[in-house]
Amino acid sequence: MSELFEILQQEWAVRALMASSMVGLMCGVLGCFIVLRNMSLVGDALSHAILPGVVFAYMIVGYSALGFFTGAVLAGLVTAVGITWIQHNVRTKNDAAVGIVFTAMFSIGVMGISWISKNAGVHLDLKDFLFGNVLGVADTDLYLTGIITLYVLLSIAVFYRYLFVTTFQPVIAETMGISVKLIHYFLMLLLSFAVVASLQTVGVILVVAMLITPASTALLLSDKLRWVIVLAGIIGLLSAIVGLLLAIIFETTPGPAMAVTATFFYLIAVFFAPNRGLLFQYFHRKRLGHKIKLEDLLKQAFRLQGKGELTLPKLEERLGIKGIRLQNLINSLRKKGLWQKGQIALSPQGMKQGNRMVRAHRLWETYLVNQIGLSAEQIHEEAEKYEHLLSDEMLDEVDQVLGFPTIDPHGSPIPGKYGIPSFPLSRMEVLQKARIAQQQINEHITAQLWQFGLLPDTAFSINEKNDQHIHIQLGDKSVELPTELARKINVVIEN
Amino acid sequence: METVISINGLSVSYERKRVLTNIYLEIEAGKVYGLIGPNGAGKSTLFKAILGLVDTNSGNVSVMGKPIEKMRKQLVYVPQTSEVDWNFPATVFDIVLMGRYPHKKLFQKLDQHDHELAIEALNKLGIEHLKERQIGELSGGQQQRVFLARTLCQGADIFLLDEPFVGVDITTEEKIIDLLKELSQQGKTILVIHHDLSSVTEYFDRVILLNQRLIAAGDTDITFTEENIAITYRSQLPILHQTGLLGK
Repeated sequence: MSELFEILQQEWAVRALMASSMVGLMCGVLGCFIVLRNMSLVGDALSHAILPGVVFAYMIVGYSALGFFTGAVLAGLVTAVGITWIQHNVRTKNDAAVGIVFTAMFSIGVMGISWISKNAGVHLDLKDFLFGNVLGVADTDLYLTGIITLYVLLSIAVFYRYLFVTTFQPVIAETMGISVKLIHYFLMLLLSFAVVASLQTVGVILVVAMLITPASTALLLSDKLRWVIVLAGIIGLLSAIVGLLLAIIFETTPGPAMAVTATFFYLIAVFFAPNRGLLFQYFHRKRLGHKIKLEDLLKQAFRLQGKGELTLPKLEERLGIKGIRLQNLINSLRKKGLWQKGQIALSPQGMKQGNRMVRAHRLWETYLVNQIGLSAEQIHEEAEKYEHLLSDEMLDEVDQVLGFPTIDPHGSPIPGKYGIPSFPLSRMEVLQKARIAQQQINEHITAQLWQFGLLPDTAFSINEKNDQHIHIQLGDKSVELPTELARKINVVIEN
Repeated sequence: METVISINGLSVSYERKRVLTNIYLEIEAGKVYGLIGPNGAGKSTLFKAILGLVDTNSGNVSVMGKPIEKMRKQLVYVPQTSEVDWNFPATVFDIVLMGRYPHKKLFQKLDQHDHELAIEALNKLGIEHLKERQIGELSGGQQQRVFLARTLCQGADIFLLDEPFVGVDITTEEKIIDLLKELSQQGKTILVIHHDLSSVTEYFDRVILLNQRLIAAGDTDITFTEENIAITYRSQLPILHQTGLLGK
């Protein structure tokens, strides 16, 4: 450790650290837009394709940071324009166009390097271009990297709105008068800048790792573009610094060490990111699976208990779950207060929940038949899935859209929000007397009863019954109720 | 009645295929227009031509007497929601605020006023509580409301909506149509690409029947006749009758 500390006191190490930090930060931030625009391959292509620019610059002006910069940017723009031109004018697939252009450019660059080595009497190490040589960063390189980083970050800050809207919905950007094409080329220019600056640090092969890996990591961590950008910058910066230190400690090449570190951070996010991480999703699925089993148990127990047939063997038969596993599910319900202690029976609270599940299943079946037009044979499986996903508000809405139906497509009764009428008005005989029950199956029925002047506890008797209507006597006035409604009205019979 | 969009002899083709041929059309302020026609009739292309997004072969479009390039702020467009990347890291509020972008110069920041306008638009569509949600977490109806809120926030005079009722629940559909009618009463002009023929008479003041050529345009009760529909849909008519899309 003290050895590392000593190394970091030396000038070359400080320079390497500064250059890497800037590159990490800049590539992370810029990479967000590259990834969101599905341009990862283009980023990779551009980084390879600047090689001939650098090589030709060397042939013309010799070793000069500014020369490399100019050559690289020119080569970058030629590539960007070339790719776009092929994509728009030639019958070649988009990604094939990218591949054709960048491999050609890269090959020209490699040939140029071997030509220089052979004919100009200078030995150029191809490896330095491919993987960088951060430990040999000179002052001019550092200044250039600094200026480029500042320029790229400022550009993104200033053009943030333009980048956001052109990336998210290019059509809308056009209707706002923003030139999508111009922004595209501007981004390509920034990308060329970033690649040149990264040449010394990570080299052309691995710069794409610094562009897309931190950005992809950040996208797993946040849903807000601003935060994604900030996080990507921080992750890029950390990857560069940690990678460089690891390279110094283990005496390996810095560029690949940075790329590996970035990948390590990415993997951590893949597994542990809140919401989107695999671990989170695994537990989420497991929880959901458990919830579905509990709800199925509630539903079946509710139906059996309603018929007075609730026994363990019957439950095992209906659910296909046996012995200890069924017992565990029942224990879970008991802990939630949905199952009676020491009995084979749902608690009143459990009955309510079971009623809800049956209602969800039958309402959804009715919805699929009436509104979507499926046949009665197709719907059971669908409803088995959806009954677990419908929220209470959605159920109420479906109920209302369907006009509060009482019978599902298979002919089974659909419970109301508060259950089935324990004695529906439609079952009463002529001249029989009853009162309107306090508890109706949903608020909608209560409201409808109000309109007929039928408040809770109102006493009445039946005058006449036919298929369509039931006439009831209410004090000295007579009211005509549709039979359909009468099926849903809960009454208490007077003896 | 004031003409807001006038289309003169417009023709558009993609590659070698003619999509729109010689369209003449005047759109008047304060009305809700339904743009009706079969698939491939060039409905979306007509929208894009009005918005100046496609190259035209001949003819021109003017908005309030000026070329579209000068009138961009006055037009808002809601493309089909199927074209949106719902995984994009953007919240409802981010999207609605986008409506303020055309009003800002390069170095100008969005201010308190812009935020207030965005909140107002969210309120109007009843989705203020979803403000911080990522757009992929919303239902189809809510997603469509977000894009409408953005157009409201932009404060334009002309609205172009491409199939806004696809993948949307009934409540949202009613809410949207009420809002469009309200906007038209305030003098805004609304154009809607629509495919459900049974709701045309209820929704639109005027219809434009299109099938590569302009078949008919005018007040719905006069123009939306079985005869005109037959010409627009040609061979597809028996199918429409069978599926009940035509209504009664």
